[in-house]
This record gives sequence, structure tokens and C-alpha cells, in this order.
Amino acid sequence: MLIFVVIVIDYLLFMMMYSYNPVYSLLIFIVSSMIIYLFFRPNKGLTWLLLNSYKVDEKIVIEDILKQLYHNSNNNITTNFLVNALGYKDAVIISGIDKMIDSDLVYFDNDFFKLTEEGFDYAVKIVRVHRLWERYLAEKTGFDKAEWHGIAERKEHETNEDEAMELATQLGNPIFDPHGDPIPTSTGKIAEIDSIPLSGLAIGEVGKIINIDDNPEIIYKQILAENIHIGSQIKILENNSTRVTFYSEGEEFRLAPIVAGNIKVFILKNQEEIQDKSIVRLTALNPGETAIVEGISKESRGDSRRRLLDLGFVRGAKVSIDLVNPFGEPTGYYIKGTTIALRDDQALKILIKKD
Amino acid sequence: MDKITIKNIIALAEELRWKIGDDFHDNLAEGIYADAAEIVEDAIISKSNKTARLDNKIDRIVTSRVWGFPIMFFILGIVLWLTIQGANYPSAMLSDFLLGDIRPVLKSLASGVGMPWWLSGFLINGVYLAVAWVIAVMLPPMAIFFPLFTLLEDFGYLPRVAFNLDYLFKKSGAHGKQALTMSMGFGCNAAGVVATRIIDSPRERLIAIITNNFSLCNGRWPTQILLATIFIGAVVPASMSGMVSLAAVFGIAVLGIFFMFFVSWALSKTLLKGEVSTFNLELPPYRPPNFWQTIYTSIIDRTLIVLWRAIVFAAPAGAAIWLISNLNIGDQSIAAWIIQYLDGFGFIIGLNGVILLAYIVAIPANEIVIPTILMLTVLVTGMQAGEGAGVMFELDSVNDTAAILKAGGWTVLTAINVMLFSLLHNPCSTTIYTIYKETKSKKWTLIATILPIIMGLVVTFVVAQIWRIIAN
Amino acid sequence: MDVLPHSNCENCDQFNTDGLKKLGIDIDDFDFVVALAGNPNTGKSTVFNALTGLRQHTGNWPGKTVTRAEGAFQYNDKKYKLVDLPGTYSLLSTSEDEEIARNFILFGKPNVTVIVVDANRLERNLNLVLQILEITNKAVLCLNLMDEAKRNKIDINVRSLARDLGIPVVPTSARYKEGIPELIQTINDLADGKIICKPHKIKNIPKDIEEAVELLSVRVKKEFPNIPNSRWIAFRLLEGDAQIIEALESGVFL
Repeated sequence: MLIFVVIVIDYLLFMMMYSYNPVYSLLIFIVSSMIIYLFFRPNKGLTWLLLNSYKVDEKIVIEDILKQLYHNSNNNITTNFLVNALGYKDAVIISGIDKMIDSDLVYFDNDFFKLTEEGFDYAVKIVRVHRLWERYLAEKTGFDKAEWHGIAERKEHETNEDEAMELATQLGNPIFDPHGDPIPTSTGKIAEIDSIPLSGLAIGEVGKIINIDDNPEIIYKQILAENIHIGSQIKILENNSTRVTFYSEGEEFRLAPIVAGNIKVFILKNQEEIQDKSIVRLTALNPGETAIVEGISKESRGDSRRRLLDLGFVRGAKVSIDLVNPFGEPTGYYIKGTTIALRDDQALKILIKKD
Repeated sequence: MDKITIKNIIALAEELRWKIGDDFHDNLAEGIYADAAEIVEDAIISKSNKTARLDNKIDRIVTSRVWGFPIMFFILGIVLWLTIQGANYPSAMLSDFLLGDIRPVLKSLASGVGMPWWLSGFLINGVYLAVAWVIAVMLPPMAIFFPLFTLLEDFGYLPRVAFNLDYLFKKSGAHGKQALTMSMGFGCNAAGVVATRIIDSPRERLIAIITNNFSLCNGRWPTQILLATIFIGAVVPASMSGMVSLAAVFGIAVLGIFFMFFVSWALSKTLLKGEVSTFNLELPPYRPPNFWQTIYTSIIDRTLIVLWRAIVFAAPAGAAIWLISNLNIGDQSIAAWIIQYLDGFGFIIGLNGVILLAYIVAIPANEIVIPTILMLTVLVTGMQAGEGAGVMFELDSVNDTAAILKAGGWTVLTAINVMLFSLLHNPCSTTIYTIYKETKSKKWTLIATILPIIMGLVVTFVVAQIWRIIAN
Repeated sequence: MDVLPHSNCENCDQFNTDGLKKLGIDIDDFDFVVALAGNPNTGKSTVFNALTGLRQHTGNWPGKTVTRAEGAFQYNDKKYKLVDLPGTYSLLSTSEDEEIARNFILFGKPNVTVIVVDANRLERNLNLVLQILEITNKAVLCLNLMDEAKRNKIDINVRSLARDLGIPVVPTSARYKEGIPELIQTINDLADGKIICKPHKIKNIPKDIEEAVELLSVRVKKEFPNIPNSRWIAFRLLEGDAQIIEALESGVFL
């Protein structure tokens, strides 16, 4: 094989030597790099597309259908719905459904598909693996938030029950995924959460963000761009058909209702739980001011969070700005006797109360 | 001990973990600091409110918008200038001693004991020459550069450089401390790779390791200066040639920095995006360095270790260089065959077979690339220069060197491409070995080795084609 | 640079100057193992060099010592092997440095652990000290950089600190070799068992967590009666530290 490649390259070189022309060789180079790029582009390359279109694994189809049925248990699900939602061809969906009926995972109820008990258990398992993976990606890797869902979507089909157990143990049997969704236990127990969409809150109501939906991706990316964090307290300032405005951690956020609908909030009624209005993000600290650290947002995870705690950014610590950067970031914060430089994306996740 | 009881303990731990929830770590960390605060409250009797924050005053200057960057470039410039200029004299002395004084003694010793020519050639002209060469050219610059750098490090200035530049590095997915490992790379890439230990975030550390090679190291500065003087300085009027060749060398170094940023960015977006990334940068107080101790330890810890590794690799390379030039297959030496074979490919990327072979056999140290090129050029052209097949040499006269290279078919394009290829090729074997030691991964070592070669081939190829299209 | 007067300890009867021999890297057989831990930038390497007579590079940086450096000294016929651990802020995270330090103190079972702290940044440094004291009960606090503290007009009540921490505290200025004889004497006394420590245990933990830790540590203690750090193991189990779980299963603690 290798010898063959060497011979081919040799031959090409020989040809080029005798009919060398810089224009041609540059053209050959450009064309061949374009071909290589088209073929091997990550996630969009032709090779990738080819591999994926031929490899419609039945298991994956079935598991994807199960998830759709699980997540949309209130809707009436038809084949058309599944084709639209999953993007598989009709024939693939139909043969998948046939298999599922054979193995008692779904049944027909007035022309709509419903999960059997067995199907429901299977779906819960898939959801569990998906959310465990998201948690893993958040805690133990450096992948960007926006990529967690896609990777988990692939991994959920490749992980067997033992591996899922191991993953859960490694993560300390977490209860929630990084978006705030509950992770079912191995026995299928799911923590209850009592939440309503942010767009459903009335003016003046106070709540705590407990979930940010990562689906659809376009809306999720908009929310990420706003630096809205899970665990933050919010207070609604304005809520109408064109926009939802709320106050949180010293800043005002303005979202379209459809975007706000993807943020789930737990309403705080108990006066004691409601945070002081003076709690702001560390980025709001100005040179010359001092503040007390209130805590670190839930959005800071894994090693980064631990590192911040180790460095002394714990509740009650005094903090002030020691050095501003010629470029604006990172900023040197004076904390517990030492100057520690943090980037803005870290400082955004530290909550303080100014003196 | 009873396996079941232990299983039970672990199961209990898991159950408790579920019960106390996600905040265990936070609570523990806060608890420890709360205890610490109480103890300190007890123990500290007096505390000056505003401690003499002289540090802060220095910091305000070295990180200021106006002075921060000029100070930084000034210091780096001084360090590099002292290294390159200051090393000339001791290098010449060492070279005179090891090559001029010792080598003849060895030679006469060898003939005295009746050593056959091939054995003495192999040992003295091959192994000894390469080792002596590497010592003569590597030791002085490193013995100047490392202590200077270490003094700055111990004083506490370098973390401020990381602080000043972090924003630029963040944009390309890297850590501000990479500014330091990069500068260290200007001295020696192997040392730069070791220095990446200061970066405690896995992803950024790998980026710094893989891209360190884009810092033009001590072994490559002289190559750049020589070629720029001979070929680039010569295209402009003599009055400007000094300035222009200096600018060309500077341009190559800046191009290296550009590639460093670009590759850092690309790696962080592709291969390395899943590696854990954290950031923290402590700005420690300034402390007067322990001058003599620092000099002593930096020579012991950094210079000699790197030098030793280079020697270990130089010896077999010297042997290889001598052997390929002296062993014949048919009517030609092995070197001549390989050069003939590589000439075609070399031509396409604007180089030649001699240069490619020199880069292959001189992998232990960039310092011996030019001597090898000169020797091989003489070998294939049959010129009268040097000391014969397989004996590397260098000439004091720039004009004589130019004559040999031009006889070897060099043009301005060849020189430009060698300068580019000197920047963009595999790290020297010492660095490759160091990368493996530091990453403990064959995969990253391979990537760090292959990536710059591919870039070098692409860049020289494109430059050669465009040059020829324009020239015609 | 003015050299501060050397300590009186060198002249007093208690300290046997002739008995001290710096052995450098000559670590053949030794009677005791001493671990050297501490935050970055506390002059830990200077202390190391002062004890062993070696000249390891001391830097103003975190992460200088990634691999362990070892040296030795001899005092009163006893040979001590000194292991310089990487400088870390904590032992609770997952970085490579911290793992090396944590595992050495826990599994390497040093006879004495010297914890070097910067007297100017005591509170920050105590974070690591308190964690180490959960693991080992043979430790001495080396309160380093006292010269700087003096310049910064920070006055520390060493007695109260030693009482609160439950371990001996030795103020030093390793740069000027000040306090090193006292440190050696204390290491010697600890190794000999002449000083018994009652290290501070972390107190400010929420009640439910404290209860969980207690429950777990009692169980661990019952299973492994000889270990001094059942509470630390409980902490790590609650954190889900895979290495500790593995160590329990393989019986390393016996």
C-alpha cells in the first residue's frame, strides 16, 4: 500500500519535473487542497456526510423516535411529525416504527403513537445517558456549551448500561444536567421540578433560573450570548407581547418572548430567599471600590470552579481591583493578600456585594 | 479486609452524596477558608493597613497603557541582543579550542595508534566534530540567555508580561503565560517546552507546547542573519543592505509569531477543543533575585540539561553525516544519491536536494544545518573548499560562503525559502524528545513534529510558484 | 543586602550544630521521610535548599517543581530524606500537581510533613495547611518570609497560631538561613515522637455535611483502625475521588 503511494507520488513528481510550469502546479495544489477540504471538513465534509447517510443505524432511529415520544407525551404524534422532527426518510421511520411495535415499545392509540411501559423505560434510559453525558462534558472537558448537546446526542446511542453506571459514579450520581434538567436515576426516578417559563412571570415577580433549554439551538445560542446564567435570581420589569425585560445580578436583560420561553424559572415567594438587590457580578466592580464575595454562579463548573475556590473566591472574601489591564482584560483582583488576574468570562460568574 | 464492608462503605458514600447534593465541594472550600479566617484573626497581632505597596507602584508602570509595551519590547530586545551579540566571542573561542586545538591533537593521536582512516574519520570527523560544533554554538548563547531570563523570572516581572499580553492570547484560545514560553523559545525551543509547566490548564499547555517551535530559536537566528546578509541585503543598494537584511530577519521572526497565534487558534478550535481549559494568573510580589544563585542554578538546571540532550543526539547525527558522505553505492556516495533523488521535489518547493538532506540529517540541532549544507554543496559540485567529504565546515568570510552557495545553484528564491523553511520545519530532535517527555503522548509529539513540516512545505511551495510566475 | 543575624539556636545547647550534615542528593538509606509542601511563591525551594545544601532552582512562580525533587540531610545520626512536593493552592482539585502532592502525603506516608507558608499571606496559605492537617498528624508549620513580614509590619503571634493549628510553628527567613536550625530540631523531635500533634480539624462545615462526614468516617475508622485520616477519606469519598475508592478496594490503607 505504502509502496504504491510512493510510486504514484514519484510518478507525479517525475511528470512535474519534465513538464514543470508554476501556474499549473499552483492550480493543481489549489484544486487538491479544495478537494481535501471538501472531503474532510469536520462534521460537514463529504466523507462525514457519506458515512452518515449510509449508516442509518436502526438502533439510533428507534432510540430517536423513543425520545420524541417521551418529550412530546402531550402531543398527538404521527409519522409525519416524526419525519419532520427527526429528518429521516419516511421509509426509515416506518420500518423503525414497525420494529418498535413488534417489540412492544409503542402502540397505536387512535392513529397516534404512544409509548408502552417498556418503551417509556427505554426512553428514560436514553434520556438518562444523554443528560449524564452533558454533565460529563460540562464538568470534565473543555467543550463549549453549545457543543454539549450534539456530542451527547451521538454518545447516547453508543453507551451501554454498564458504561452509563460508570459515568454516573464518576460524576457522583448527579441529579441535574448542566441545563438544569433532572437526570433520571438508574431505577428511573426523576427529580421533580416546579418551574414555569420566564415569559409567564408577571411584572415584579422574582424567580430563580433553573433551566435553560438547549433546543432549538438558534435560541439557545442567543441566550448564551446574553450571558444569562442558571441559578441567577431575576426580577421581571416588563412583560408584553414584544419583549420580556428583567433585572438580574446588577444588569438588565431584554429578550423576545419566544426566547424567554426557553428559560424556566422557579418563582420565589419566600422573602428570605430573595437576594439583596445590591448583589452584582464581579465585572461591575470599579477600581477603588471594595466588595464582599457572595458566591460563584452555577455556570462556573468543573476545574474552573474549583480553581476559583482554591484561589480564595469564597463567600465572605474581600475583593478589590488592584490592576487594570492595558487591553481591558484580564483584571488583577486583590483578594486575601494576593493579586489574582481573572478574565471577564470568569469574573462574570462571581457574585459580589459592593461595600 | 472484608470486601463486602468496603463495598458497603462506598455505597453509603454514594447515598450520602446524593443526599447532600451538589454543593459539597463549595461548602467544604468555604468552610476551610472560614476556619482559616478565624485562626488568622487570633494569630495576627498587628497588620499595617496599607502595606508598603511598592509592588503596586511598579505594577502600575509595567502594566500601564503607555509604558507597558515599550518596557516589554525593550527588555526582550535587550535580552535577545545580548544573547546573539554576546555569544559571538565565546563561541569563536570555544570553536577555536575544540576544533582548532583539540581536533588536530585527536587526529595525530589516532594516526599515532595506527587507526585506519575510516575509523578515525568516522570518530573524529563525524561524531567528535558534530558534538564539538553543537557545544561551541549552543553553549554560549544559552549560558547568556537562560540566566538573564531566569533573573527576570525570579524578580517577578514575567508574570506581568503574561498579564499584559493575555488578551491577545485569549483571542487565539491560548494562555497569557504562553508569551513567556514563546520568549523562552527564542532562546531554545526545548527549554520553551519545559517552561510550559507554568501553564496549569491542560488545553493551553498543549497549545503552548505544539506552537513553541514557531519561535525562532538560537540555533536558527544565525542562519537567518547569514542568508539575509548574503542574498536579501545584496538586492538593494549597499548603503541600505544592513537595514534591509535586518528587517528581513525581523520579518521572519514576526511571521513566526503570526503562525504561533494562527496555529494556537486553529488547534483550540479543532483538535484540542475538548481538553479542559481553566485560567488563573497569580501576580506574585516582586522579590530581589538571589543573583549568583540564580545564575548558577539556571546554568545547571536549564543550560546544561538542554546541552546534554543536544550532545546525545548530535553524536549519532555526526556519524550519519560522515557515513552518507563517505559510503559509496556504485560510483556515488549515498549522500549524492539521496540528493539526486530529492532534487526534483526540492526544486518544486524552491529548495534543492542538498538543503532537504541537510535538514534531514541535521535534525539534532539547527546549528549544524548551514555547515552541513556547505559540506554537501561542496561534495556534489566538486568545489575545492572545506576539508573533504563528511566534514562539516563554516567559513569566516561571508563572501566565500556566498560563492559556495551560488555555485550550488542558490538564488534569492532559494534563500527566502530556506529562511522560511528554517522557521517552519520539524523541531530539532532535542525538542521532539522534550515534547514527548512533557506530554507523555506519542500523538501530540507526532502532531508537534509533523504540523510545522506540512506548513513549511506548503508555504515554500506557494512562495516558489508565485515567485516564478511573477519572475517570468 | 543586609544579612540578618543568624539565629541563636545554633549556639544553644539544644541544637547540635556538629550533628547537622547536609547530604545533597546523597539519599541512600534514610531513617525518616520528610515531605515539603506549600503554596507557590512561599520560598519552599529556598527552604529545601537550606535544609539539604542543594541548589535547586527557586522561582517566583507557581508550578516550578512539577516532578518531585528529593534531597537529604543528616542530623544527630539520623538520616532524613526530604521530598519537595509541587507548590499548590489546595489539594482538592484535579490538577496533576495537586495529585502528586496529595498522593504523596496520603500514600507515601512521610514521617513528618513540613508546610511552608508565606507569613505575609497567612490566611490564603492556611487553606492548604488545614487540608494537609486533615491527612497527616505529624506536621510542622514553617512560617517563612518573616523578613518580609517584618518589613510589612505584620506581627504574628506564633504561640496562638501553634495552639490553634495544633502543630509546632517555626518562624523562618530561609533566604538568610534564619530559623532553619529550629526547623531541623522540630523535624527531629516530631520524627522521634517527642512532639505529639493534635492537628486542627475543619469546623465550619454545614450541619448536614458534617453529619455525613461523621457517619462515613466512623465507618472507615471501624474498618481501618490504624489510619489517622478517616475524615479526609470521608471527604474524598463524598467528592467521588476515584483514586481513593480504588485505594480502599485494593486495601492500600492496611
